[in-house]
Parts: sequence; C-alpha cells; structure tokens
Amino acid sequence: MIELPRHSSPSAATEPVVKILGIGGAGVNALDRLLLDGVPATDLVAVNTDVQSLVASVAGDKVQIGRATTRGLGTGGDPELGYIAAEESAEELRSVLEGASLVFLLVGLGGGTGSGAAPLIANYARQANALVVVFATLPFTFERKRRMDQASEALAALQQQADVVVCFENDRMSDAVDPHAGIEEPFDAADQILSQSVRAIAALVGQRGLLHLGLDALATTLRGQNARCVFGFGEAEGDNRAHEALGRALKSPLLDRGRLLDDTAHVIVHVAGGPDLTLNEVQILMEELNRHLGEETHVLFGCATDAALRGRLRVTILSALGAAAPARFVQPPAPVARVAPGRPATVEPEPPAQIVAFPDPLGDGDHPVAKPSIASGAAARKSSAEAEKAAREAKQAVLQFESANRGRFEKSEPTIVNGEDLDVPTYLRRNLKGR
Amino acid sequence: MGKGNLFVGLEIGTSKICVAVGEGRPDGTVKILGVGEEPSRGVRKGEIVDFETAGKCIRSALAFAEEKSDVAIGAVYLAVTGAHIQCFNNRGAITIPEERDEICEEDFDEVQASAREVSIPAPNVFIHSLLQHYYVDGQDGVLNPVGMCGRRLEADFHIIHGIANRVKNSVRCVKEVGPEVIDVVFAPLATAQVVLDINQKGLGALVIDMGGGTTDFIVYVNGAVKMSGCVPIGGDHITNDISLGLRIPINRAEKLKREEGSVTIGASVPGDMIVLKDETGFAGKEVEREMLNSIIHCRVRENLELLRTQLDEGGVALDYLGAGLMLTGGCSLLDGIRELAEEIFGLQAHLTHATTVSGNISAFENPQFSTAIGLIKYAQAMTPEQPRGLFGWLKDKLALAGMWLW
Repeated sequence: MIELPRHSSPSAATEPVVKILGIGGAGVNALDRLLLDGVPATDLVAVNTDVQSLVASVAGDKVQIGRATTRGLGTGGDPELGYIAAEESAEELRSVLEGASLVFLLVGLGGGTGSGAAPLIANYARQANALVVVFATLPFTFERKRRMDQASEALAALQQQADVVVCFENDRMSDAVDPHAGIEEPFDAADQILSQSVRAIAALVGQRGLLHLGLDALATTLRGQNARCVFGFGEAEGDNRAHEALGRALKSPLLDRGRLLDDTAHVIVHVAGGPDLTLNEVQILMEELNRHLGEETHVLFGCATDAALRGRLRVTILSALGAAAPARFVQPPAPVARVAPGRPATVEPEPPAQIVAFPDPLGDGDHPVAKPSIASGAAARKSSAEAEKAAREAKQAVLQFESANRGRFEKSEPTIVNGEDLDVPTYLRRNLKGR
Repeated sequence: MGKGNLFVGLEIGTSKICVAVGEGRPDGTVKILGVGEEPSRGVRKGEIVDFETAGKCIRSALAFAEEKSDVAIGAVYLAVTGAHIQCFNNRGAITIPEERDEICEEDFDEVQASAREVSIPAPNVFIHSLLQHYYVDGQDGVLNPVGMCGRRLEADFHIIHGIANRVKNSVRCVKEVGPEVIDVVFAPLATAQVVLDINQKGLGALVIDMGGGTTDFIVYVNGAVKMSGCVPIGGDHITNDISLGLRIPINRAEKLKREEGSVTIGASVPGDMIVLKDETGFAGKEVEREMLNSIIHCRVRENLELLRTQLDEGGVALDYLGAGLMLTGGCSLLDGIRELAEEIFGLQAHLTHATTVSGNISAFENPQFSTAIGLIKYAQAMTPEQPRGLFGWLKDKLALAGMWLW
C-alpha cells in the first residue's frame, strides 16, 4: 500500500495565519492558559490598558493601548475609556492584525478594557480581512446590573463586528465544576474551556485532514448577523472513546447537554484521532450525535488524523444559533439564584405558556438589535445573554410539555387543589429546572 | 380446635390487584393462607376507568389466589378508595324511653341512626359509621354503656361516605367476575387493622398507605378513628413525573424509580449519572441521579404536605399521636421516604407491613399487601362467631373501633 504522507507541507499561502488576542484583564489571563496548553507564544498577543498585567503576561506580543488615556493604569471598569484607548492605539493594533486570516479575541466582558476595546479591535480585524472569532465571558449574576449591562452592550457590539461570538457565562461555571470546589477551580475551568475551544477551532482549520474543513466551511456555518456560537469539545481515550468523547462534548456548558443542537441550521463536526482511528468509531459517534440533531440540520463533517493523537479521539462540535430562532422564544421568567451551592437548578423553564411578546423595546429580547456605537445607552436592558439562555430553556420546556404535560393522566379527571392541577408534575409546577 | 372461618379480601389497586385468603381462628387470630396478585390495568387513582380490563385482571388475581391458598373463592370483602370518599365526625343522641332505666342493645342502633341523620351529598352513600366514644348523660369516657343507667345516650361516630355509583362500579366489576361482595370497606381502615395493634390505637397513630394511585390515611386517637381520607396522588404520579422530566417512556420510568429512585436530595455527587440500558443492551440515555431524586422528592414532599394540611385542617393534633406514623403501601419502599415523612409530620415514622397476622411470612411482609390482608382482619371482627353471646359480638364491634381493652 502506498503510504501517502499525512502531513504534506502546505505552501505558506494556504496555511492560515492565526492570531490570538487577549483583551483586558481576563483575556490576558486566559492567554497564560493557552501557553500552558501548548500554543506557541508567538501566536499570542496581550492587549491591555493596565501595564502591570502586560508585564506579567507570557504572550509573545504585547500591546499597551491608551497610553495617553489611562497612563498605564486600567480603565476602572469604564468601557468608554476602553474604547478611546483602543482608538488611540489603532496603528499598533492594525499592524499586529495585519496578514492574519483567523483572529481569535479572548475577552471578559463587563469591565472597561475588554468591553470597550474588543468591539473596536474586532472591527480592525475584520478590516484586515480575517475571520474573527470572539470568545467572551459574561459576568456572574452577582456582579449586578451595571456590569451585566455593560457586558450586554459590548456583546451586542461584538456580534455586529465579529463573525462568531462564543459566549461563556460565568454562572455556568457551577455546571462545569462542583460548586463546593475551591474558588480557583471554576476560573481555572473557564480558562481551560476557552483554551480548548480556541485550540480546537485552530486545529480544525489548520489540520489538513482526510476530509478537510476550511475557513470557508467555518464561515458558512458560523457567519451570520448576530450569530451566537454553540460549541462543544470532547476528548477521550480507551475502548469506548467515541462514546465518551461525544459525551464530554455534549456536556460542554456551551452546548447545554446537546439540546441547543436541535435548533441549528448547520453543524460542523470535526473528529480527530491518531492513525488508529477507525471508521466504526466515527460511525458510532455520528449516529449518536444524529440523535441530538434536528431534522433539518445540515451536517458538515470533517475528519483528520494526527500522529500526536495516537490512542485518543477528539471531537469538536461547532454551530451557530442564527437570528431565525426568535419566534419560538418565550418570555423568560425572573431568574432564580443562579449559583446556588448544591442545587442543580439554574433558570427555570416557563410552564406551558403562550408565547408572549416582549414589552422590551429591543424586540423579542433574544438577539439585541445591532448598535453601531458602543456608547449608545439604548442597548439591551436586561442581560441579553441571560434572557437568551432563559428563553432557550423556556422554549425547550414549551415544546416539550405543551402536548403531554399530564402524561399518563391525560384522560383522567384532573385533581385540582388550590388552583393547581396535581396531575401536572410537581417539579414543573415548582419550576425546578429540567436538565 | 374448631376450624376457623375463611375470609377473602380483595383490593382493586391502581398498580396491582391483590387477593388475600385467610383463616380467622376462634381465638381471634388470623392466619394467611395465600395472597394472589396481578398487575392492574384499567384503574387510575384508585378508581376503575376501564371496566372490562379491570375485570380481567381481577379474574387473574382471584385465580392466582385460589391456586396459592387451595381455596375456592365464593365471596370477598372489597376495599374501596378514591378521592370521592370523605369523612366527618358526628354525634348522635337519643333519649332512653321513660319505662326503661337501663341502656340496652337496640339503643346502639338508634344512636347510630341518629348520628347519620346529617345530610350527605345526594349522590353519596354511607360506607362506614365507626363508633368513637359514648357519653351517658354527658359523662365522658364511657366504654360500654350496656347495663348502665342513664337518660340520655350519645355517641360520637366517624362517618365515611362516598359517591354511590363509584362504589357500585367496583362492586359490580367484582360480581361480574364471579364472587359475591359481602361488604365494602374503606381501604385505610382495613390497612389499619393489621398495621396497628391495640396499644398503638390507644396511644394514637397515623397510618399512611401510599400506593400506586392514591395515598390513603387514617388517624386513631384514644383508640378511635378520628380522621380518614384519601389523596388521589400516588406512585403513578411519581412515575409520570419521572417519565416527563427525564423524557423516557413510562415503563422505563417505573423501573428506574424502583431500582434507583430515592427521595433524598443533596446526597449524591454532582455529575453522578445513571446509565439506562437500551433495549439492545447498549448504554442508552444517561440521567443525572440528582435530577431523578429531585423529581421524586418534589412530588413526594408535595403529597405529604398536602396530607399534613388536611390533617391540620381536620383538627388532628399530631403531637399527641403517641405511636407515631406508620408508612405502608408500595411507595413506602422508596429510599428515604421515612425520613422525609418524619420531617414533614414531626412524628416518629415507621415502615410497616401487616403484622398482627400469622402464616406464610413472604405473603404478608410486602407492604403492598397490607390492605388486602387487613380486609381479612376486618372481616373477622365483623363476623359473629359461633355463639359467643352478646358480649362476644360487642367485643368484636368495639375491637374494630379500637376500644377493646381486655
């Protein structure tokens, strides 16, 4: 058998140039994790107003923005200052972004530098003809309204400028990690997830695979006005690795147990393994995955082998929730305490209710209407991320229980006590979140 | 030793139909000869919704019981339950006619009739009138007024009534299959006969029979029935909740509930998953243990709290129930339910099954059979023995009411 060289060295022209920018305090911290995970420091660029944070960073390139504006100090949580700082350093930023075909922006939203500068930087990256993928974290609910609002505004602006925005809500950390764990763990976990995601997408477009997915495939799937990215990544080894890897991917907090896959129009599935990857495993994996996908979903399948992955199997699931989803969203109920130790409940689904039009002038409350200027105050009043998450879950509840909310007791006489129909499941009436 | 009477108890439950055959010995004890059961179909929340199917299941259960006990079943005592059954306490009063000084037999019937002279809804019929206490000329604490002098005899009764047609439905269903129905008994009353002994009835006790379709309860205070009733929520609801919540079919939900379910929440490690095997034997869906338990916990808690509310509204002072709470029925097998019941009722809770009987142990140690076996005990109490005289009959009547003290 003729062995075709697996790693034909592609010409420099076809190899995508990847730049990873960490913007603001959280973003710069995330870069450290990436370095730990093996991303070459040369690809990493730290961008911040705060000089101290830049000094401590391990990135290959560092850009201090807003030298005159903030004089080496941070923005103090003011996104306007962040924006001005980025504007001031436009030249430097543009030169860093030049030539890149794929730009990752890592940013923690809610504060000043990240929220203020990131949308502008995304804009510069776009102008440089790169595909812009943003990984953003959203503040904890307990950080309260001001930061949540700033985060939403920034998010809205980012969605306008970037091709893909992958959101990670800090509140979701309680899903990823045992709530009783030490406080460093969840932040660590968040960084790890960011790192995995970045590396996965980079690998996806970087690897010349058997079934190659290029930037174009990524763009098709993920590009779109106001697209919110849905992302899952899992890796496993051993006998049952196909099943386990898929399981882990589906468990990604960003995928919400695979339920979000029901809504998507396109899904990219990329399976990577060592030379020992078998067709059988791929088939098992795809079959299992298909169970989670909607009928109409178009699957773009990519596959690659890498000698470095011998014995392991890695699956990446990437998709976008387009703006087409809003019609099914239901008015999200008031959020319950999202980080509650020991309880799995987060946001409750709405009991079978009619689809209510939002009083919010932002129209259906799901994807905030694009706002060109960050400083505009008319952006989403409620945390759009929160609303969307709640609406997503609420929608799930509506679709699920509208027809069969009494199940076995459909045809029997209802038992009404204190205005409640006792045949409807108790956990539903008490709004315990279904997972 | 004379041969005892044979009694058969039949319970048409929501999850199973149960037939118990027992022998009532002259010395008052009951020996269980055999118990037959059949999964029930056509019954929801304790009431028959599919006549034919239920009939078939009854037939099977009867055949099974006949086989096990080697007895041909001709007549049964039938347990009934359902949300339509209600209870209340009422006092009847009669004046002893001038000529007589003494209180005698006939007066009891009269006073009972007087107690029943309260209007119950038109479609309803009396199921039980259970004697609680006598008062002679206002004197409290009279246990047996026969032979006493007095002008005025009063008695408190606990009256249980239900919709006539529903009760008739059950009776007809059984008759169509074959056996005669000697008497109709409210299920928790039957259960209490084998789950509580005399002392416990005297101390005060709450019996909760949590079955497939209903949760029946009965409260004894000072040896007499103070309150009884039925909440139409049972194991079926738990299964239904699980099925809807985890999105699995009903039969798998039932299996999951029995094998892995627990009422206790917060005890499992987050991320502890239960793998449900597919039909083909391969790992199918995974569900989080905590979620399963939360669903079960929610439902059971609601059920018990509803019951607690009913008891509070009925004026039952739970603190004074000396013997505590007896939990029986299929759902009492749920892990952790005893602790939850203790928490909600503030009483010592015990998981029980039929105890005041003898016979094949496996037959009566299953809490699901408590009611059917209880029917036999009830039957024995109600049946006049070979001539034991007036006192014998009265003893039985009082024993049933729990006032038997010697």
